[in-house]
Amino acid sequence: MSATIANLDALRTALPALGQRVGRSTRTDDERLARARAVMLGELDASHATYLETCLHCGMCAHACHFYIGTNEAKYTPIYKVEPLKKVYQREIGPMRWLRRLVVSDISLSELEDWQPLVYDACTECGRCDLMCPMGIQISPMIGIMRRALAAADLLPAELAGAADEQKTLGSVLGAGRAEILSLARELETAGVHVPLDLATADVVVLTSAVDIKAYANSFKATAKILNRLKLKWTLLSNSIELLGTGESLKELHVRRIVEEVVRHEAKTLLLPECGHAYPALRFDSAHMIGEPLPFAVLSIAEFVGREIMADRLKVKRAPAMGPVTYHDPCKLGRHGGVFEEPRAAIKALGLELKEMESHGRTNYCCGGGGGQFMIARGAQLRHRAFEIKMREVDDTGAGTVLTACNSCRLNYQNGASESNWQKSVQSIIELVGANLAD
Amino acid sequence: MTILEFARGPAFQAALWIFAFGVCWRLAGVFLMYRRFDRSKPRRHHLVAGGLRAIVMRSLPPHELEKRIVFQHVSGYAWHLTFFISLLFFAPHLPFFKQFLGFGWPTLPNTIALLSGAIALAILLALLWRRATVPVLRQISSLDDYLSIVLVILPLATGFMQYARVLPFGMRYETLLGVHILTICALMVWFPFGKLMHLFLAFPARFQAGALLERKGVEA
Amino acid sequence: MATLNLGATVGEQLRAQGVSRRGFMKFCSTMASVMALAPAFAPRIAAALDKAKRPSVIWLPFQECTGCTESLTRSHAPTIESLIFDAISLDYQETLQAAAGHQAEEARQRAMQANWGEYFLAVDGSIPLANKGYSTIGGVSNVDLLHQVAKGAKAIIAIGSCASFGGLPKASPNPTGAVAVSDLIKDKPIINISGCPPIPIAITGVLAQVLTFGQMPELDHYGRPKAFFGQTIHDRCYRRPFYERGQFAETFDDEGAKQGWCLFKLGCKGPVTYNSCPTTKWNMGVSFPIESGHGCIGCSEPDFWDWQGVYRPLSTTRWGGYRALGVAAAAGVAVGAVAALAARRKQRPVGEDKT
Repeated sequence: MSATIANLDALRTALPALGQRVGRSTRTDDERLARARAVMLGELDASHATYLETCLHCGMCAHACHFYIGTNEAKYTPIYKVEPLKKVYQREIGPMRWLRRLVVSDISLSELEDWQPLVYDACTECGRCDLMCPMGIQISPMIGIMRRALAAADLLPAELAGAADEQKTLGSVLGAGRAEILSLARELETAGVHVPLDLATADVVVLTSAVDIKAYANSFKATAKILNRLKLKWTLLSNSIELLGTGESLKELHVRRIVEEVVRHEAKTLLLPECGHAYPALRFDSAHMIGEPLPFAVLSIAEFVGREIMADRLKVKRAPAMGPVTYHDPCKLGRHGGVFEEPRAAIKALGLELKEMESHGRTNYCCGGGGGQFMIARGAQLRHRAFEIKMREVDDTGAGTVLTACNSCRLNYQNGASESNWQKSVQSIIELVGANLAD
Repeated sequence: MTILEFARGPAFQAALWIFAFGVCWRLAGVFLMYRRFDRSKPRRHHLVAGGLRAIVMRSLPPHELEKRIVFQHVSGYAWHLTFFISLLFFAPHLPFFKQFLGFGWPTLPNTIALLSGAIALAILLALLWRRATVPVLRQISSLDDYLSIVLVILPLATGFMQYARVLPFGMRYETLLGVHILTICALMVWFPFGKLMHLFLAFPARFQAGALLERKGVEA
Repeated sequence: MATLNLGATVGEQLRAQGVSRRGFMKFCSTMASVMALAPAFAPRIAAALDKAKRPSVIWLPFQECTGCTESLTRSHAPTIESLIFDAISLDYQETLQAAAGHQAEEARQRAMQANWGEYFLAVDGSIPLANKGYSTIGGVSNVDLLHQVAKGAKAIIAIGSCASFGGLPKASPNPTGAVAVSDLIKDKPIINISGCPPIPIAITGVLAQVLTFGQMPELDHYGRPKAFFGQTIHDRCYRRPFYERGQFAETFDDEGAKQGWCLFKLGCKGPVTYNSCPTTKWNMGVSFPIESGHGCIGCSEPDFWDWQGVYRPLSTTRWGGYRALGVAAAAGVAVGAVAALAARRKQRPVGEDKT
């Protein structure tokens, strides 16, 4: 069940079919534009206003963005990606809108169409630009608004629209749904790993993701082993699967459901798989969606495992020698989540020699495939350009293995490696820990 | 009324009122806007401290993210520093500030203040040229960007011309002094409507970033 | 006034007065140097003055304080400047003349007729227009008298800031409707010798120049002779090094004041005032205001009384005070608040079904 070229190929070939699922929009242009505008106005608040009023057009953000750095194309400047949002802000709710209307033109549907590749193909919401801006402007959340606005205007890229449609109509992601979770649980039981499925109550609720199920089932297997070793009362819910970050417009609905399930099971902790998108969505954004702080803690599995190791509750033995390794900080876990120390603690406990990349921790470069970018076929070249930056940095460390705590990143690394014939091994921290639990 | 009398009198008066009115308008209009309240549990709890720290930290010498744009970072701060030295520590300017604040401060000899101003002017001209030529900047620049930089260049340039007695168009010294003050009036009138507002907005923007990143547990 | 008519030419007059040739040459050398001419010009001036017919000068005092006359004539010992008064035929000067009343006016009329088209008209004081009765001589208003006498004048010398620009009476709110000579007379050459009062040698130097060369001196943008009004006080001020070094007196009694530092912060208007105070000085070269510890008030410039304050430094501006500023700011906040609150109506979160 480990990721093989076959699995990757299967995923890759599924994408064109996804791209065909949703046809042309049946809405009128005016309707689509109105829907986009409504999303923008509904999400813009005083914090975005402060940012949009403060931009100096200094262009430094471009030099944080792997898509700009890889291509030198000025249109990939991060703040340029929110230009339509800025215009709507200035014309509709900005304090000086009565004056700005005289000089700022309104957005149009064709303009939003032009922006589709900028905010989807050329942005993974990695947040590196947020750290660069001298004014402190948080650009990536505003690109998030742009993406949701475009989604409302039926301007999701074909593959993402298809994935969203699949979620809405079939409740599954890339063919992974309830049936597949049940099947995974059965396989693991057969292999001797107990998976408490659909318990009525539990202390810990664990989610798995579509990517895990389709390509990295060993990741969940390791998770189960670790939790069993810790003798925790945990459960896997067959009706709750973490979405790929595609159908952004459905995010709120989905997050609410998960929260309801956790509460219903009276759990105090929700563990998220090695998945990027899930972490900020459930750890930070969820409180706003339900209108109050979460009544339970949300942890990434890598974060959880690291903490257990740091507290000496989980004992691991030295992993088999593999030479120097480097750690890739997933954007959503690290820069957007604050999880840096715990995975490194696990690496250290495994007795591995860690060589940090030049850009690591909060300044780590995005793998290039997040935010659903991986699924966009026409974005392959861009993705490759971004990935070249990663390859260079890994090569400079001299490490032969890249460890990571996000399976989307892992998928992108392996895909990139196979495209470029890059001879590095990419492994999951959870799988390494699960394979090296102390006796 | 001579140009100098007009500049020191009604022109400055009007410019100051427009400045005060516009700045308050824009700031109030932003801060009184609806603001989403973040209810998530912060990873780290000193949000206010994090916000204040970000105000300082983003001004520090270039960090590892910035190795590609060290020139821009350094020149940006260098021009601000030299500009404010010549604005605040050139002795003839002091009575101007004292009339509003009621207090003054020690000043620098003219040569040093002027040298500082000369450096500021040179950097500004270089940055203006850069904005018109570098592709990223051309992509994102608007009228506001060019106008703002020109309106800051003019007081510096006219200040120097005064000092060096470079009198264009057969102007007399006192007329050029009037023009110098008028360029400042122009700057004040444009200020609330353009990106020069970052003088005020940089602080809340950086604070927001710092507080948000502190909440996430990431160094701002 | 019955002039002491001791001779027809300037030279004769001076000799009759007992001025030695040496004294006369010294006067001409001074004039040469004051007009920035080479020493070789002194004999030329002497020769010209020697032969110059003593010009008739009619001096009309209008709305003035007599300070200009005082400045010129104030001397405890005969001065070189005052000699010029002996060189000219001062046919009418109220302060100095012995005659009064109708006799004085008749003398004036005779001098005018005798020298029609050739006499010089010297004016000090501004001319009130709001009410002709505000300033009269012998029942004739200033404005009428000016027009009458100016008709036959060869040239007009406006002495002092009042005659040159309107001066003190013109200061806001100008209750008398005071104007300058040049506001009323447009068809005669006018030389403005401004200052409140003007420097004596500026007058005598201009007269000497006119007499020597028979032409108008080079004038600046305000009609003032460039020889005396061509540079600013700031450019010739002996305290300039302190300005450059950033050493200023902050009060009239502090260490800086005692050390003779620059007076910019105490309101000195030297940088925008054109006059020759720092070079020729006053009271026979004793001192000038800055040297005595007080900043220049700009008295040779138009409307200097309305320059927002003698003690307000040049780099200050009118700004309306805190209250007005507060009102402007409050108005801004109000508009901003309206903008923000009106925007809230548009900022409605969109429902969940967005696709």
